[in-house]
Amino acid sequence: MNAILKNALGICKKVTDPCIDFIDKKLEKFDPVWQAEHGTGGLRSRYPDDGSGIPRYREWRGVRDTFQDYVAWLRNVGYMGAMAAKSPVHVVKGIWEYRWMGSFLGSFQFVDRIFEGYRGRELDIANIHGNAIVRILTLRIGLILANDRRLGGGPMSDFIIGLDETVPPLFTAGFPTLNAEPMQTMPEFVVCDVDQNLDPYYIDVAESYGLAPDVCSRCSAETGVALDDAFPVFGKLVLSTNQPCNASEATSMFQRRRFHQWGIEDYPFVFAMQHNEQNGHDYTREELKQAIAKIEEVYNVKYDWNALFKAAANMNHQNEIELEKWDIFATPYSPLSGISESLYKLVEWALVNGHDAYFNKVDDKVIQIMRQAVDDKYLPYKGKTRHRAFLWGPSAMYYTDFPTWTQNCWGLTIVLNMDSTMGHNHIDTEDPEKALTDLALFSEKGVMRHHAVGGWDNVDAVWAWAKRLNCDMVICNDNVACKGMNGVHGMLEERARELGFHFMFLPHDLEDSRTISRQEMRSAVNKFMSVVMGEEPLDPTLVEFDDSKAW
Amino acid sequence: MKKLFSILWNICKKLVMTVFVLFVVTFTIYMTNAENKLIYYHISPFLTKHYDKQARDRRI
Amino acid sequence: MLDLKHLIYFENLLDEANNELVAKAVSDGDLALGYNCYYIPETLLNLPGCFSTRLRAPHCVSTDIANYYMTVHNCPYVRSILERAIEGGYNYLTALFGAEACSSMERMEEHFDLIHPVKNDAFFTTIIDAPLKCDNAALNYYKKELNDKVLAPLAERGVDTSEAALKAAIEDHNEVSRIIMEIGDLRKLPNPPITGYEFHVIQLVSEVCPHRLILPYLKETLDEVKARAPEPEFPFRARLVLCGSEVDDPEFTKLIETCGAMVVADRYCFGSFPGREQIVIEDGETAFDAICRHYLQTNTCPRFMPGEKIDQRTELLKNLVEEFHADGIVLENMKFCEFWSYEKVLQAHVQTNELGIPTCQIEKDYALTGAGQLRTRFQAFVEGLEIKQIESAAAERRA
Repeated sequence: MNAILKNALGICKKVTDPCIDFIDKKLEKFDPVWQAEHGTGGLRSRYPDDGSGIPRYREWRGVRDTFQDYVAWLRNVGYMGAMAAKSPVHVVKGIWEYRWMGSFLGSFQFVDRIFEGYRGRELDIANIHGNAIVRILTLRIGLILANDRRLGGGPMSDFIIGLDETVPPLFTAGFPTLNAEPMQTMPEFVVCDVDQNLDPYYIDVAESYGLAPDVCSRCSAETGVALDDAFPVFGKLVLSTNQPCNASEATSMFQRRRFHQWGIEDYPFVFAMQHNEQNGHDYTREELKQAIAKIEEVYNVKYDWNALFKAAANMNHQNEIELEKWDIFATPYSPLSGISESLYKLVEWALVNGHDAYFNKVDDKVIQIMRQAVDDKYLPYKGKTRHRAFLWGPSAMYYTDFPTWTQNCWGLTIVLNMDSTMGHNHIDTEDPEKALTDLALFSEKGVMRHHAVGGWDNVDAVWAWAKRLNCDMVICNDNVACKGMNGVHGMLEERARELGFHFMFLPHDLEDSRTISRQEMRSAVNKFMSVVMGEEPLDPTLVEFDDSKAW
Repeated sequence: MKKLFSILWNICKKLVMTVFVLFVVTFTIYMTNAENKLIYYHISPFLTKHYDKQARDRRI
Repeated sequence: MLDLKHLIYFENLLDEANNELVAKAVSDGDLALGYNCYYIPETLLNLPGCFSTRLRAPHCVSTDIANYYMTVHNCPYVRSILERAIEGGYNYLTALFGAEACSSMERMEEHFDLIHPVKNDAFFTTIIDAPLKCDNAALNYYKKELNDKVLAPLAERGVDTSEAALKAAIEDHNEVSRIIMEIGDLRKLPNPPITGYEFHVIQLVSEVCPHRLILPYLKETLDEVKARAPEPEFPFRARLVLCGSEVDDPEFTKLIETCGAMVVADRYCFGSFPGREQIVIEDGETAFDAICRHYLQTNTCPRFMPGEKIDQRTELLKNLVEEFHADGIVLENMKFCEFWSYEKVLQAHVQTNELGIPTCQIEKDYALTGAGQLRTRFQAFVEGLEIKQIESAAAERRA
């Protein structure tokens, strides 16, 4: 049967391919990548000059890729429609109540801009990942809004555990009758990537109470969400945490006051800062046990190790594939890189964390494409990669669609972001005691933490990563408010010189795009690439443009 | 039999027509970036005005 | 009031880290053990043949080289310490015991290992992971860290870390603390025989100098202060609690006092609250256990996350205001200090709006730059407190 189908498809292709080639040839002048190659325009030509970042029309990528992107867009429309259809009243109320829900409306544009210029297998993977991200986010937003007591509550209102967004939620799989939802992910953590204008509002709220403007803008924004009473309200308990760093610890002292007001208890679930040492692992393991005991006490449920093992098996499968991906990243043939890789990994690790087997299917599908690419010696981005960079960069890279821009403008491929190297150890799926030990190690290596805290060695690891992935360049996001990374500025420069890497700092203020704008970030790269590297841009329309009013 | 075939044919025609119309509509929205223009230029400003007017329980 | 006999001597001791008494102890063969943070119990460093010295960078006005390593967007205290180290100001140290209490501090302490600024072959650095909670798991972790990263390296270098030595260290701590607290308690009096500035100087010398060498001076000063006649009338217009981060410059206290308010209680990193409480060995505890428990329980760093520790900080401030009859609180945070920036906002709200205690929030550099602006703030705050006093007196009269 399969052979017959294959034959039929083959015959069809024989007919359709020449037609598609003919149309592509006729319409190629509308393709912005072709325009950039031929000096008749580029990826920015579609945009008006009003700074809105809303293109006049979508990118023509050729018949196959345009249709592929259109189908992916339809899927996203479907996910959003399904979310709205499940609990329409709660969703409408949510949009009316929460400023951050309004920002989620920019999601379509977000997906468009982060995959701009993608073609072929890069686009295939990007859209598989994009669909998976939109699917899980709409499911989770739907769940949160449908059970938000402020909006009327729902059947799960009392059965949700609130987690700080940076607590790895895998361990909560042992409570199959409860849902674990990160408190800040929807109001701040993810949506700020979609809309650069959202967090400045919450930052201003926090600063209006006297919070210093030099604290981490992400935590400042979270404080603002708490002060503005803009957290969704659910569950009986919130696990706050010290992940990833100081400001995250500090902001919890404000957030807990708001949770208490809504009758939600808080419990600090802390992780060893020095996560390379045995003492630290032992302590985190103990903390993990206590956090489990606390949830059992508050929700009157028993921990189910078999449920945990099931989720851990999902996570193990994902990590096995992740390790294989790293080997492919080291070759020039990986159609997966940049935001497509790092945003997906961030969501898969920090939000899903083994809870949803759908992500295993996605990984299986993607690794097949990647393996095929290696077999075919497929050169992504039409072979235009000039430099391969390892990025030490948290979320300012997303709202700026930074890796996509470096690729399109300068042929600079961001092979991997440091956040993608989060906990990837195998977790035992038979013995609870071993599983706890593995989980402790896994959970300590969390978002923005694995290569940021716990000592210089963790930061110094970037060079080994860069070497392993055959990168000639390291880009370090220079967050003006990150005390820990500012504290190794000189050492990073010295090590780059010593090891012979092209190295640049990329200034930004994480979620506050007013301090350092997107264009200022791009200008830093432009200067480095033109002055230090002496290179010309691939697409001159991308060198300098106004997107100050864009989402 | 002929009648059944005719009914099925009509259903198929309608289905194809519906799918085609849906395709044309959605593809037009997609290519013209209509949904983003609508949200950015009309819905977002309206919502922002609403959010700015909201009385929130703002406190430490 | 008559000048304190040793005040100028004490002031001179604070003029540089490697002061006369530190130099003498080192020349006697003692190991100088530096630390920056309350998470490192000074008691553990005052073992036979060793002495603790809390690191300061007096008169540091430029941090150019430290800026290269840590950027200008980092805590000025840690940059100043690193700069002073690079200048060679801590070459007398045998060790720096660090704590990953905040990332700025940890990064600075790491540089002592990475760029070897201390030119002393015997020098070494260790950094403990500092717990954020106070429960048994946290205490056990704290003990392990202090044992592995403080006691063990000292024992390797031949330092006596036995139970008897630790008990003696506790006795030493309790003796110094008793003297400091006795002097400090005099600030509770309506017209104290000591100023906030003088106390700040005394407290600082007790933290930076070898105890065995400073103790005689402290004892003498206690007797002197007890017998000292205060001013005929309380010379200040208000009484304040100073709360904040690394306040190790007595000139800052003097600045507040020249604005008309006496600093009656010092709740900051280099202050006596916490720091000068008695360590008690409870039944079944070893001396080491008691030290660890004491320093974890009394620690009121704003990085502690549990509600009870946040309440402890609020209570401490409230109690200090009551016990020392203060009219208000100055809440300070060092520029770029995330913990104290958050804590300052929270305490200002709780103390002012929930407990009715007036507060003044300020942000400062490590070096006393911007003194003019700070003076204006303090003067306005003192005037506000005075007006409040006048209004409440008038209300009482009317009643």
